[in-house]
Amino acid sequence: MKTMHRKTAAVLLALLANVSGTPARAADSGDASPNCTLNSIDGARAFDLGEFKGKVVYLDFWASWCGPCAKSFPFMNALHHELGGKGLQIVGVNLDENPEDAKTFLQQNPVDFTIAADKEEQCARKYDVKAMPSSVLIGRDGVIHHVQMGFRADEANELKAQVEKLLTETPNAEHAKP
Amino acid sequence: MQNRNCANSVSRPIRFMRVVPFFLLALAVTGCAEVAPWQRGTLAKPQMALDPYPLHSALRAHNYGAREAASGVSSSEGGGCGCY
Amino acid sequence: MAVINSGEIQGAIKSSPLAALTAAALALPGLVGAPAQAADDEFSVQYGHYQEEERDLFGVKSTYRPIEVDTVQGNGNIKITDRVKFLFNYTQDTWSGATPITTAPLAFRGNSTKSSTDGVSGATPIVNGELFFDSQLNPVQTDGSRTVTGGADNRLVHTLSAASPETRRQGDFKLGYEWDEAAANVGGGTSVEDDYESRFVNLGGRLDFNQKLTTLNGGLSYTASDTKARLDHDLLPYVDTGAYTDQITRTAEGGKIVQGHRKDWGAHVGLTQVLNKNALIEAGLGYTYSIGFQENPYKVVEVAFINDQIPAPDGAAYVGQVRALLEQRPNVRNQLSGNLGYKRYVEAFDAALHLNYRYFLDDWGINAHTFEADWGQPLGHGWTLTPRIRYYSQDAADFYVPYLISQQAYNSGRFDRNRLPKNFSSDHRLSGYGALSGGITLSKQFAKGVSLDLGYEYYTHQGGLKLGGGGEGDYADFDYWVVNGALRVNLEALAASSDHGSHAQHQHHHGAMAPAGVMFEHMLDKGKFMVGYRYMHSSQSGDMLHGANRVSDPAIAAGGCGSDPCYIRPNGMVMNMHMLDIMYAPTDWLNLMVMPQFMDMSMTMQRLAGAPMIDEGPGGAGAHIPHHVENGHETGGIGDMGVYALFKALDTGHHHLHMGLGLSIPFGDVDIQLRRNHKVDGGLIHYGMQIGSGTLDFKPSVTYTGNYDDWSWGAQLSGTKRLEDHGETGFRFGDIFQSTAWGGYNLTHWLSATVRGVYTVQGTVQKQFNQYIDKLGPMDYPMNYGGRFWDVGFGLNATVPGGDLAGNTLGVEWLQPVHTDYNGYQLDRDGTLSATWHYAF
Repeated sequence: MKTMHRKTAAVLLALLANVSGTPARAADSGDASPNCTLNSIDGARAFDLGEFKGKVVYLDFWASWCGPCAKSFPFMNALHHELGGKGLQIVGVNLDENPEDAKTFLQQNPVDFTIAADKEEQCARKYDVKAMPSSVLIGRDGVIHHVQMGFRADEANELKAQVEKLLTETPNAEHAKP
Repeated sequence: MQNRNCANSVSRPIRFMRVVPFFLLALAVTGCAEVAPWQRGTLAKPQMALDPYPLHSALRAHNYGAREAASGVSSSEGGGCGCY
Repeated sequence: MAVINSGEIQGAIKSSPLAALTAAALALPGLVGAPAQAADDEFSVQYGHYQEEERDLFGVKSTYRPIEVDTVQGNGNIKITDRVKFLFNYTQDTWSGATPITTAPLAFRGNSTKSSTDGVSGATPIVNGELFFDSQLNPVQTDGSRTVTGGADNRLVHTLSAASPETRRQGDFKLGYEWDEAAANVGGGTSVEDDYESRFVNLGGRLDFNQKLTTLNGGLSYTASDTKARLDHDLLPYVDTGAYTDQITRTAEGGKIVQGHRKDWGAHVGLTQVLNKNALIEAGLGYTYSIGFQENPYKVVEVAFINDQIPAPDGAAYVGQVRALLEQRPNVRNQLSGNLGYKRYVEAFDAALHLNYRYFLDDWGINAHTFEADWGQPLGHGWTLTPRIRYYSQDAADFYVPYLISQQAYNSGRFDRNRLPKNFSSDHRLSGYGALSGGITLSKQFAKGVSLDLGYEYYTHQGGLKLGGGGEGDYADFDYWVVNGALRVNLEALAASSDHGSHAQHQHHHGAMAPAGVMFEHMLDKGKFMVGYRYMHSSQSGDMLHGANRVSDPAIAAGGCGSDPCYIRPNGMVMNMHMLDIMYAPTDWLNLMVMPQFMDMSMTMQRLAGAPMIDEGPGGAGAHIPHHVENGHETGGIGDMGVYALFKALDTGHHHLHMGLGLSIPFGDVDIQLRRNHKVDGGLIHYGMQIGSGTLDFKPSVTYTGNYDDWSWGAQLSGTKRLEDHGETGFRFGDIFQSTAWGGYNLTHWLSATVRGVYTVQGTVQKQFNQYIDKLGPMDYPMNYGGRFWDVGFGLNATVPGGDLAGNTLGVEWLQPVHTDYNGYQLDRDGTLSATWHYAF
């Protein structure tokens, strides 16, 4: 019975350690947005996020197997058509391990905003993506304004309101935290 | 007629304890490999769902329950794409 | 008193020895419910057929059919808001057939009649009699009367008894709320059948850790059940119910009802852990505490009371007076189970391997192990094949015993109960055995979020398969197989994959829709699909009519049954139909439709005042009358399936005309029987309670619809023409002709109302049953069927205008009978309620 108690204690400790959560990292609200290099979906062109400084960036991490991602695409497409001209840059970063899956998904859910591939997963890690899908709202000053985990239709309106608010702000370097 | 079974060589409380190790074993395995949220494509495949045919499972459980003495609840959730 | 008569079971009402097999003693409906994390906005329907194979009666040919069960299940998940989900589930089973009521030594001949030891006249269960034992208390072989013909014979056999069909219905729901990393749900439901009712509530929750790599879930449930079992009327004189006198009430016709109450509390926790990108494990632990009436009230245990006063015949040492006692189980049961599962992706095949082990333990002495393995193999193009295998083994309960010997005389029931074990049961579910089953599921995912899953499983229960040996003998072995099919429609996926939203507007923007009770009234555009569910409930009650006039009991008794007298009449009848409509338009002018259905019917009867009072109907069938009167009858199962082709003749936008050609395929049973009783076969149940028509039928129709602004109208002529002279049981129903016309108005943009008139004429039943039928009332005579009917209908239709559920339409209609003119003597009509749901995509 003694071994039983020791085993139980060890196991419960292990469980607790996992529950306490991972330590906070680089990509929270108020931080400067990390720069990362992306490829266009066909692999031809490489670009980095720094190119979009001065615009409001809606960075969305998605994959073909993620149900809520499919639901978010029509919303993001509508947002792109409505606010793209006013300085909104949507970048859909695909995290599929197999690019063929991404292509099939895009055929079934065609959109007009920029789609990029993050083959080495370095963008996902820099932004410490904790959920699928994740959307990061970056203001014109390059500061992360909001990280949205998951996508639900009810919350889409709130996101849109936040984007519109960010579009009205002018870039101010003092807001950035090192 | 004599009772067929006298299988009481092990007392009741200890017999119950036999079941607990299974659960503890499972707990001990928490936190195995690091799987990032975007690496769950394989786990999200329909054939990898813990119960891909819930209606079929319910019917089968119903048939077994009607003919067998053991009942069991196995409505575990989890796995899959881990989407929010 | 030395003479003891073998009592033959004097017939049995539809007390079902296997009744409550589903929810009683062992299985809990409240715990096996729909999982809370199913897909969003999905509806599904499933049909299953369970069929047992014959049991070994050692050469006695049983006229009883083995148990078969027809199940239909409907299920829906609706997302009320993004985080609130509602799940509902409805299940209905109808079962009938033979099941063991007890076990006895083979030498006792429980399955043969006294006069014909080879059972030529049909197996009739015997539970009282004499058994002879040698000095070691082994039963000895006899010739059926008091002559010992052999030595010790320890072989056992089940004593079978049959049940007339019975239906169980269950409804349950769950309401859940989702946070980002947690969920909670609450649910409840009820399961109802004639002699058993159960109500349950449950609570559940889920917590995710580690970015959803670890999931913990748990649940609590509470179930309260009531048994009101009507004991087999014919067993009554032969079953000792002395241990249950406080729980037994007597009925007007002399029956006994055993009442019992039981409560179950259950708790369950589960853990799922992702091991790596390709594998995960799950573990669970469950505990259930049950208190109350745990017995199966239809199972008895044979007790051989050794009576030293009776001289044993030559070759035997003791005489046992065998009596049947209702089984006795402990009042309390603690059950514990734990399981461990593993699921792994196999890249080489793009397949998933699943392994599961469950251990079960209770304080009745039962230890059980279950090993399951399945392999989910995608085959491309949306097809998936999943073979599975399962091995199960259990110990016998401590108090399980095939039969008992008690060293005391029966003494007309005044024996010492304390000398018997406190608990005893011969229910094979509590015996030691192993079971092996293999099955396969084939699934096809259609592109637009619709999938069809078909399954088959074969299961063999054998004492010899028990882990570690020592299981029950071969006599208790049996097999069963199950086939099932499920259709799942995921509305969210359908909505996303097509521009159905605008299409739905197009389909219905002109005028109202046709009333819910009208079929094939609408055609689809090319390439479109429609799935729908239709429920119809119709009932009859009140006065009996002869033609169009009310008729009194004495008149029915004299004239309702031709030249025979009538003894009983129906006093209420209810019919429920569940239909699935699946329609597809390969071209603009042709639509194809398939319509499977599941039906159940029930009827209660009463004696006719003025009928001859002697309980001797033709062929001795009058002995059945108390049974018909005390219990109703129920039938149910899969019904005839319709296949239709609709051809568009005219479509101007405001006016539309189309014709339909259809066939009804006779899947529904027309050979449903009642139990044998009073040494007389129960025979076939009357024509109106058979499920199908028995014949291939031609169903033509012509439909016209028109609309202008908010108004719409239509008319339809339809018919049913029997294409065969008779079905497998010798009769065919009359042909049907129906004409109907309606008008509708849009009350709002999503709601419309309809009014319609219907005239139907149906011929009498032609020819008659070619198998035995008890003719006790007007419903047993073909000439009374059919008639002319006038009805008026009032309906409402609603379309979901927008959002995720756009394109769904719901309709409801009440058809009120205005005039009825039967061809003979039938019960007056109450009306019909139709409710439909359709979704076009």
